[in-house]
Amino acid sequence: MSDDATPTADREENTTDFGFTRVARDAKAGMVRGVFDSVASRYDLMNDLMSGGIHRLWKRFTIELSAARPGQTVLDIAGGTGDLAARFSRLVGPEGKVILADINAAMLEVGRDRLIDKGATGNIEVVQADAQALPFEDNSIDCITIAFGLRNVTDKDMALRSMLRVLRPGGRLLVLEFSKPTSPLLGKVYDQYSFQILPAMGRLIAQDADSYRYLAESIRKHPDQETLLDMMRDAGFAECQYHNMTGGIVAVHRGLKA
Amino acid sequence: MTQNDPALLSAALAGAERALNQTIALTPTSHQELEALSGTLLGIDITSLDLTLFIDIINGTEIALLAHCERRPDAFVRGTVEDFAALVASDDPAATLINSGIELEGSSSKLITLQQIVSKMDVDWEAPLVDALGDVMGHQLAQALRAMLRWSESARASLKRQLSEYLLEEGKLTPPKTELEHFYDSVQSLSLRVERAQSQVAKLLARAASNRTRQ
Repeated sequence: MSDDATPTADREENTTDFGFTRVARDAKAGMVRGVFDSVASRYDLMNDLMSGGIHRLWKRFTIELSAARPGQTVLDIAGGTGDLAARFSRLVGPEGKVILADINAAMLEVGRDRLIDKGATGNIEVVQADAQALPFEDNSIDCITIAFGLRNVTDKDMALRSMLRVLRPGGRLLVLEFSKPTSPLLGKVYDQYSFQILPAMGRLIAQDADSYRYLAESIRKHPDQETLLDMMRDAGFAECQYHNMTGGIVAVHRGLKA
Repeated sequence: MTQNDPALLSAALAGAERALNQTIALTPTSHQELEALSGTLLGIDITSLDLTLFIDIINGTEIALLAHCERRPDAFVRGTVEDFAALVASDDPAATLINSGIELEGSSSKLITLQQIVSKMDVDWEAPLVDALGDVMGHQLAQALRAMLRWSESARASLKRQLSEYLLEEGKLTPPKTELEHFYDSVQSLSLRVERAQSQVAKLLARAASNRTRQ
């Protein structure tokens, strides 16, 4: 290793991606919080507009993959506005429990209000928590979902290990996240959409083009299907697999705790 | 890792599930019958579409259609789209199950009961339209839809009749039904006579052979 390589490596070590820019590792969480504070109140509306409502179908299939049953405990990390938690609440029933967790207080507040409005309250707990250091006992959760949240986590490997720790043996993790389109043509169309149309929609609807530009950039920096699969295996998950959806724009990864 | 796009199937199933549950909500007589099937899971494999889906009867008023389910189904049926269309429309589902190409694993009684409940549902589609759009608009739209449905049924019948007339009378492309039946009868009669002649010839040949052996 050359002499001048060491400071570069140190810099790499101490920085992380925030979209296409490199920022100090300990600054990312605050910057991500800023993005979601900005979009929280219109997050679901923007999701509907940005995906043409397809995000509901991606989430629907993720819930089917969870195989959640009455009496189980489900943890929805980065659960934000609570749409997955509301559906899990019905599946696990009054004897089960759903924990809605998010690092962002503004998103949790919107989620909690929404759940109360839907009447989904009896079996749901709301917890402000960092995915890298989940404040739950070892082997206490049957199923963990993280939908469109992992890419915003600073240390994804640490978060995956934390999730594995709290899962019960036989429990499962489902990661629903933007991924890499399988067709190059779709990839080009998707790029145009993400970097031209998405920020324009953000500007028009949420008066916040920068936050939506960050969302598009963070999607590109997120590991592709196979890389995330390897990361889950490295964290200790067994029987890891993924399903591409909408041409690979989104993938849902599943891993079990042996 | 998978071939089919689950999002596409989820879209179709979400739409069908919504329509089905609205129908159930509007058919109170089905609630008690469905309640008896509560907790039942049926798996359907449509081989011609390479598609597997599950019908989960949650309770008397709600059915879920799933693209993925890890519970063991009470009944699992496998067949083509045509097989399932025939089963849904059948007046005698038990006979259709036996005589069609449908393969069944598990309990047939739950499948037959569900088919009977669904086939009996007679829905007033005006009610949800009125709920959504108000009395005037909802009623007008329902009238328009009914008129469109009547027109499409009469147009289909008329097209079928005219096409049949053209093929028979104008184009002389197909023979009339009675002529065809007469032709089939003649062919069958000829076939029987040929068979009889064939057995007569065989008998004569056998007799000639035995005569030759005696001489």
